[in-house]
Amino acid sequence: MPLRQIAVLASVTVALLVAAVLSIALGSTNIPVRDVLHSLPLVGSGDVEPTTERIITSLRIPRAVTAILVGAALGVAGALLQGALSNPLASPDVVGVTAGSGFGAMILLLAAPQAIEWVPLSALACGLLATAMVFSVAWAGRGGGSIARLILAGIAVSAVFTAGTTALMTAYPDRVSSAIFFIAGFLSYDSWGTLENVWWYLAVGFVAALFLIRPLDRLALGDDVAQSLGVRPRVVRLAAAGVAALLAAASAALAGLLGFLGLVVPHAVRLAGGTSTHRFVVPVSAIAGAALLLVADTVARVVAAPTDLPVGPFMVVLGVPLFLWLLRKAV
Amino acid sequence: MAPDVAADPGAPLLEVHDLRVQLGGREIVAAADLVLRPGRLVAVVGPNGAGKSTIVRAAAGLLKPAAGTVRWGGTELRQVRPKQLAKLRAFVPQRPEVPQGITVREAVLIGRSSQIGALRRPGAADRAAVDASLGRADAGQFADRQLTTLSGGELQRVQLAVGLAQGAPALIADEPTSALDLGATATMARLLRGLANDGLGVILVVHDLALATAIADEVVVVDAGRTVATGPPDAVLTPERLRTTWRVDASLGTDDDGRTALHVGWLGAGPAPPEPAAS
Repeated sequence: MPLRQIAVLASVTVALLVAAVLSIALGSTNIPVRDVLHSLPLVGSGDVEPTTERIITSLRIPRAVTAILVGAALGVAGALLQGALSNPLASPDVVGVTAGSGFGAMILLLAAPQAIEWVPLSALACGLLATAMVFSVAWAGRGGGSIARLILAGIAVSAVFTAGTTALMTAYPDRVSSAIFFIAGFLSYDSWGTLENVWWYLAVGFVAALFLIRPLDRLALGDDVAQSLGVRPRVVRLAAAGVAALLAAASAALAGLLGFLGLVVPHAVRLAGGTSTHRFVVPVSAIAGAALLLVADTVARVVAAPTDLPVGPFMVVLGVPLFLWLLRKAV
Repeated sequence: MAPDVAADPGAPLLEVHDLRVQLGGREIVAAADLVLRPGRLVAVVGPNGAGKSTIVRAAAGLLKPAAGTVRWGGTELRQVRPKQLAKLRAFVPQRPEVPQGITVREAVLIGRSSQIGALRRPGAADRAAVDASLGRADAGQFADRQLTTLSGGELQRVQLAVGLAQGAPALIADEPTSALDLGATATMARLLRGLANDGLGVILVVHDLALATAIADEVVVVDAGRTVATGPPDAVLTPERLRTTWRVDASLGTDDDGRTALHVGWLGAGPAPPEPAAS
């Protein structure tokens, strides 16, 4: 691996570790870093005050783990989609998953708030439903599997779900404020509750992503070369888009709509590392996405403490200047 | 790197018999026959739209034939799994994709990837194979440059190196010289002839009949979806053939030093009007 790529990998890994410690230390009560390190499971000595330890293990660690998993999932989802569609503008929005998940959450938050504990699963289910609709159009019949058709089907299906969401907001205007956190993207002190339900969607997605790295690299050299190398381009596109949708829908269930992360992080990784090979971009996007979301969440929780603000806007505020700086340097 | 030849070194790598291919409901190839043996260079020639590319794409397994047989190493194409097929033949496309952010060496390593286990990292043997492929395609001197910075001729040599990295005994190149200048075309011609001399079976789709005459062991003429003539260049590319298939008054000549030339009556001095064949 060239020095530049090693440097990028090392930087994002260090950033992730530092962010993880800070994320556990900072909040409405600040905990000394020493206590954080001592209370860590497996490696810590356990020599910490019981109240502090409870805050760390039942509130802060679950939240940090959720941020890491969501950030990594969206980073990987973006990298897979941009590779599968050979389109730098691809993100989980493109296959309809963001609009579907948004609708799935809003229908409960607005029309049936008594069922609020079902919001994550509804977001997951509707996100996957929207993707299934996009795929059934995009892959049907002759000429199925073309990139243009997939993107157009995604835009059309997204429009349907977005219209549904808008209709709900019009019907229940007084409840819209309760849904803003979901739209903006949020993390909460939910302990392990939601994660227990959706962790295995993420696990399946991450493992499948590993097996897609090499086929996506072959696809980058064109469909003919990919076929020469024993890859079926349509199958790889379908699988990569499906895995990305799974990761993005599970992320929406955990933290609302943060699709922007999936668009920007893989680009930042490519620009910083100077390479587009998926061997580098997919894993490093996972680490970088996790680090970005973790830092943004820590800021969102500290900046107006004890009020906990939605993480989405802070992620944009932190991520965009860095991204624009990389973009300027690259061109 | 010696090619993988079967027990009988002269046994065909590829046999295509009575191939038919339809695209979008239209019959593009009506009857095609083709045989490729190790160490042979077969040039597939014919007018635009005759079906040359379609024949070699179907033979390479990139398109599904409507009828006929395609055998690789004696096995029916549809019984060969894609991964196995990658070890039997490499396909070098006509218009290569030029992705951003990929170096020549990375691209050739991707070509090698069909030989590397699903989650294994490339090892020393893989890196050596990449270097060997770069050398054989005369692309070693720009191995660390980005694909986007290469000239057309350099890019085509990289495509060749990507195909060679597959380590297959047969190489199918679809018009690799059609966008190249004279010098780059000559380089590509020498490389392809060298590969055949080293024992590879090479199929070359090409428009330049003088080039085909100079480097091919065998020429296959395709006209309106049919292979109409097969044999040594001198025997097949006669003035009569050039008149009936390309509708030009022309002849091929080879001088004592092996230099070939195509002499054409450009302004239609011949008996047939200079219109292209029905496409």
